[in-house]
Amino acid sequence: MFRRRWMLTLVLRALVYRRGRTVLLLAVLAMASSLVAALGIVSDSMGRRVAEEIGKYGANLVVMPPDARIEVGSGGLNFGAIREPSYLDQQRVTDALTGSGLRAERSLHLRGLLHWRDADIMAEGVNFPEIRRLFPWWQLRGAWPQAGEALVGVDLAARFGLQPGDLLELAGASRHLRTRVSGIVTSGGEEDALLFLELPELQTALGLENRVSLVRLLVTVGRDRPSDAAAALQPLLTGATVREVRQVARTSENLLAKVKLLMSLVTAVVLVCAGSSVAGTMSTTVLERGREIGLMKAMGAGRWEVLLIFFGESLLLGVSGGVAGYLAGIGIAQFVTRTIFAAPAGVIPVFAVASVGVSVMIAIMGSVGPMMAVFRLDPVISLRGE
Amino acid sequence: VLLRIVKNSIRRRPRPLLLVLLSVIMGSSVATAFLGINGDLSRRMSLELRSYGANILVEPIAADQGGLLNAADLPRIKSIFWRHNITGFAPYLFGVADLAAGTKKERGVVTGTWFGRELAVEGEETTIQGVRVIAPWWEIAGRWPETPDEAIVGATLAARLGIGAGAELTATALQESRRFRVVGVVTTGGYEEEQVFAPLATVQSLLRTEGKVSRVLVSALTVPADDFGRKDPATMGRDEYEKWYCTAYVTSVAKNLEEVMAGSRAKPVWQIASAEGGLLRKLNGLMLLLTVLALGASATAVSSSLMASMAQRCPEIALMKAVGADRLQIIAIFMGEILILSAVGGVLGYLVGDRLTLIISRMVFDATIISPFWLFPTAILAALAVAVAGSVVPVRRALAIEPVRVLRG
Repeated sequence: MFRRRWMLTLVLRALVYRRGRTVLLLAVLAMASSLVAALGIVSDSMGRRVAEEIGKYGANLVVMPPDARIEVGSGGLNFGAIREPSYLDQQRVTDALTGSGLRAERSLHLRGLLHWRDADIMAEGVNFPEIRRLFPWWQLRGAWPQAGEALVGVDLAARFGLQPGDLLELAGASRHLRTRVSGIVTSGGEEDALLFLELPELQTALGLENRVSLVRLLVTVGRDRPSDAAAALQPLLTGATVREVRQVARTSENLLAKVKLLMSLVTAVVLVCAGSSVAGTMSTTVLERGREIGLMKAMGAGRWEVLLIFFGESLLLGVSGGVAGYLAGIGIAQFVTRTIFAAPAGVIPVFAVASVGVSVMIAIMGSVGPMMAVFRLDPVISLRGE
Repeated sequence: VLLRIVKNSIRRRPRPLLLVLLSVIMGSSVATAFLGINGDLSRRMSLELRSYGANILVEPIAADQGGLLNAADLPRIKSIFWRHNITGFAPYLFGVADLAAGTKKERGVVTGTWFGRELAVEGEETTIQGVRVIAPWWEIAGRWPETPDEAIVGATLAARLGIGAGAELTATALQESRRFRVVGVVTTGGYEEEQVFAPLATVQSLLRTEGKVSRVLVSALTVPADDFGRKDPATMGRDEYEKWYCTAYVTSVAKNLEEVMAGSRAKPVWQIASAEGGLLRKLNGLMLLLTVLALGASATAVSSSLMASMAQRCPEIALMKAVGADRLQIIAIFMGEILILSAVGGVLGYLVGDRLTLIISRMVFDATIISPFWLFPTAILAALAVAVAGSVVPVRRALAIEPVRVLRG
């Protein structure tokens, strides 16, 4: 008991006595472990943020009637309806999506022709809040529609000379419809030639209550694979097909995998370099203590006791360096994610364990390893001074 | 004498100096690798993002009235001001035709395009252009068409016609008729699945629109749109317009394309273009911050290991002082040692870092990133600077040593 307390005193006194060295070692250990924490937290939250960013490419799944055709291309290329349009039951699809437990953004679409001034206009019924989430690339001149208002694609607007504020009297298959143009949308895609109305308004005008032609889904990449989600949804949606939009889905998966690989390689390189350099520093400070070890041995300390003293010292250094490093690492990670992604990084407790662990490991590797070499020294030689 | 002391000190005490050397090497290799990757990362990433597909659509001004573009203008796409930013393009010609396979008949869309065609432009390297370049997400069951009478069919259309690779397909439009051998079935999840794709020239003769195309999809490397890039070029003054034209915004590249394709208008595909800008900005920012972090970390590691090795040498310094060395001589000895170490470490670190850059770029991008040449002197200078900065404190401590106290033991 006495012996143990004596040893503890020895460790603490050794640390306090060589204050400069202790601070130096603490600093480098804290630096290494703050790198672990910061890189870990950043790459973890980056996976999610990049996935979010990739979500801005739009929907990666489509649900449509099995016999429906996907419209050919965009802008101006209209080959007319080659077959009768077919629809999905809105209630059944939304129920199935809710029941599936899949977490995905969705938007419902209904296409139909409306008649205006001797011309047929292709109109799409949508839910505008959903559109704003799933189609973030739409460039809008004017305002998003309120109730009873509509958006016009830029090509359509140019064809009929429409401006925001204009009133439209449209004739649907079952009912007339009055709406006001609130904005003009540019997307560079097929949207440029469409008229966008609130879904219920178009449904009543066309006499297609509770019908939709298409549902677009955005499954968050990185959490679920779009192809797996499609396979899981298909059995729930009888009378519909679920397709993966490969342009978005596959490319996103590849991109995310690459970003993650880059991040982990970078982390590994930095950690190995910083770690070995820190371990080197530690071992330098141990090597200079040959004389101390010699003295201990000469006074009758066994190998184990000497080892224990040094082990205790590096454990203490490692733990405190690790804790300090974790705190610093959280700060760095917060700074990085705030600057780049404008969102706070989650505090992930796992990395506290990781950074303390790495710090302790480096400290022990750097001090106990070289001590094995010191042990082989004869106390007589090391005390003599060389 | 100074030189000899430095030389002997390196030879006699290899171990601590070796550790310092190691950390200098590590530090400068991390720095080299990061700067090397960072320099090329944004280009690599934007090339990577090009696999999302074309970001500019070129179509006839009067698309509604069935206007068409001239196929003869296509090679001029690779001769525009921004030609080096064009990573690929593919022309399309659409037409409705009656398709017949065996007993089944269907009215569908026949599309003529380039699949992967060598394009030689005077004064430029020969490049491969076509769908294979700009749409890497197409999944082909079978193979791509090679001869003029081969075609690939979209998956849903193929299912309705009940055909697969190896089948025969007849397309009839107006008076013309062509037989195609189906060599592949394409899955994309988009409207491509409803079409038959055949070589452009064949479809041109089928539809009797020789030398015409309906639209061109262009994949171009662009810079993210900033506030200036979002301005309407029509409202710009002359100087502003010039600056806008000479920045690779997606809108200015589109304008450039419009000028070479007669009777066309070019529209950015905002789904692709706007998401790309945001993603690129963030990835670049992230990499930059990581580089700063890594550089800072390696600098601390190097200077701390220097400090540790200096602290060890108190008795040596005290002895030197006792035998009459003045401050300058001590500084010269230490600095000499450090300079030699860091020069050697810098060179070795550069070599290691260069390898690291190569390995990382191979693994992540399947491409070789060549570290720019300026990195070599930079790496060595950085190693020197860090080593000298890291040794200021220990050298000053060494100068403050009182020989009497240290030598007493």
